[in-house]
Amino acid sequence: MSDHDSGTVAVPTLDVGELLQAADRGDPLLLLDVRNEDEVKAWKVEAKRPIETVYVPYFDFIEDEAGSVARVPGGRDIVVLCAQGGSSEMVAAMLVDAGVPARNVRGGMVAYGEYLEPVAVPLEASEAERFIIWQINRRGKGCLSYVVGANGEAVVVDPMKNTDWFAAFAAAHGLRVVHVLDTHIHADHVSGGPALAETLGVPYSVSAGEGFELRQPVTPLQDGQVLAIGGASGVTIEVRVMRTPGHTPGSTSYLVGGRYLMTGDTVFVGSVGRPDLGGHVVEWGRTLFTTLTERLSSLGDDVLVLPAHYAGVQEIGADGVVSGRLGTIRATVPELQFRTADAFIESVRAAVKDPPPSYAEIIKVNLGVSSAPLEQITEWELGRNECAASAKRAAQG
Amino acid sequence: MAVKHLDARGLKCPMPIVKAKKEIDAMAPGDQLEITATDPGSVTDFQGWVKTNKRAVLKEQRQVKDETGRDLYIHLLERTDG
Repeated sequence: MSDHDSGTVAVPTLDVGELLQAADRGDPLLLLDVRNEDEVKAWKVEAKRPIETVYVPYFDFIEDEAGSVARVPGGRDIVVLCAQGGSSEMVAAMLVDAGVPARNVRGGMVAYGEYLEPVAVPLEASEAERFIIWQINRRGKGCLSYVVGANGEAVVVDPMKNTDWFAAFAAAHGLRVVHVLDTHIHADHVSGGPALAETLGVPYSVSAGEGFELRQPVTPLQDGQVLAIGGASGVTIEVRVMRTPGHTPGSTSYLVGGRYLMTGDTVFVGSVGRPDLGGHVVEWGRTLFTTLTERLSSLGDDVLVLPAHYAGVQEIGADGVVSGRLGTIRATVPELQFRTADAFIESVRAAVKDPPPSYAEIIKVNLGVSSAPLEQITEWELGRNECAASAKRAAQG
Repeated sequence: MAVKHLDARGLKCPMPIVKAKKEIDAMAPGDQLEITATDPGSVTDFQGWVKTNKRAVLKEQRQVKDETGRDLYIHLLERTDG
């Protein structure tokens, strides 16, 4: 075998965003996934269209370079993917050496897990004159953050840990972030909320709820309280605070402009938040049922739900946004068809899956009880979110 | 029978496997190679690699912490007569 130490052979590369855009468009790519079988089973790249994928572990290339190169179908736009981008670089170099054009996906699955894609939520014309809502889609994990902008000001809801990205995004759109919000204490990813607020010198708000020791400095918000964004120049958009406990005791939703509801993990497009992560599935389940059937009943069917997670690419709409009208969600989500709390709890209990990996450690960091180095957090966050009570998993390509 | 140690701390894939392969190829049947790695991905990678390669078997894998609390992944391979 020739010596393909990482970094010694220059191979063409592409980043995760370019890979996803090409795959979403249906460009004829051939994805060569060189991770080992266990990693492949646990987590794959999902695009809006199926990606044709060939699996040949990188150690097969180390063992038998020529034989493994011969296993890769030629005449295609080959992109090579691994866990962190090192093994795929080696394999791409072997292919290039053999005269097979190939590109390496920079950063591999780790970069896929961190990649953020901003999509503007379509608004009515009269609304679009006053404000804008971006849904920031963390495609690899199925996590959604939001940036609401009005007249030079913005609030950020449920930001991810790469706070530089969010600060730069707001700045690039001429927005000054005035408040950072979390819908709840997340269990599947480390929140960027406290760090972003501290960096920008603005208030941070989250409600942990009863039974949690919150050590982050927070600006408390009351149920029904209204935050006015863009007020400096007279044009404002209202962000109304709504307590929606159940997924966690402190879960809070934010209603923007009376019509756009950031629900966190209270209700999703196809399911509801799982109420079992605190070990009180009956108690929290009962609270969630009350939230879903009573609290949200004051909102009209045309309210657009903008959740904090989605279960798979099939939940991304034609407009590129993960959203659902409250009326449609009420009519179609299986967990919302139960008439009694007991039946609801029974169903949610029966569907309970394993908790998100490392959720206990992640919760501690989000409460401010402990901290962890970025590398550790990245490892905790690998894989898709598992926050819904029942997730219709996407068909994986 | 000799036991050789390979320090793969701080190396990311594919380097722990690339280096282990070089050592294994140079060994006599029955010789053992103990690799110390810090990449958690090395655990499943070594399991997968020995399925492909016919010259080594995985005798043991264990996880320990070093004096700074960092996780170390120890892999013990034995050269076969393959």
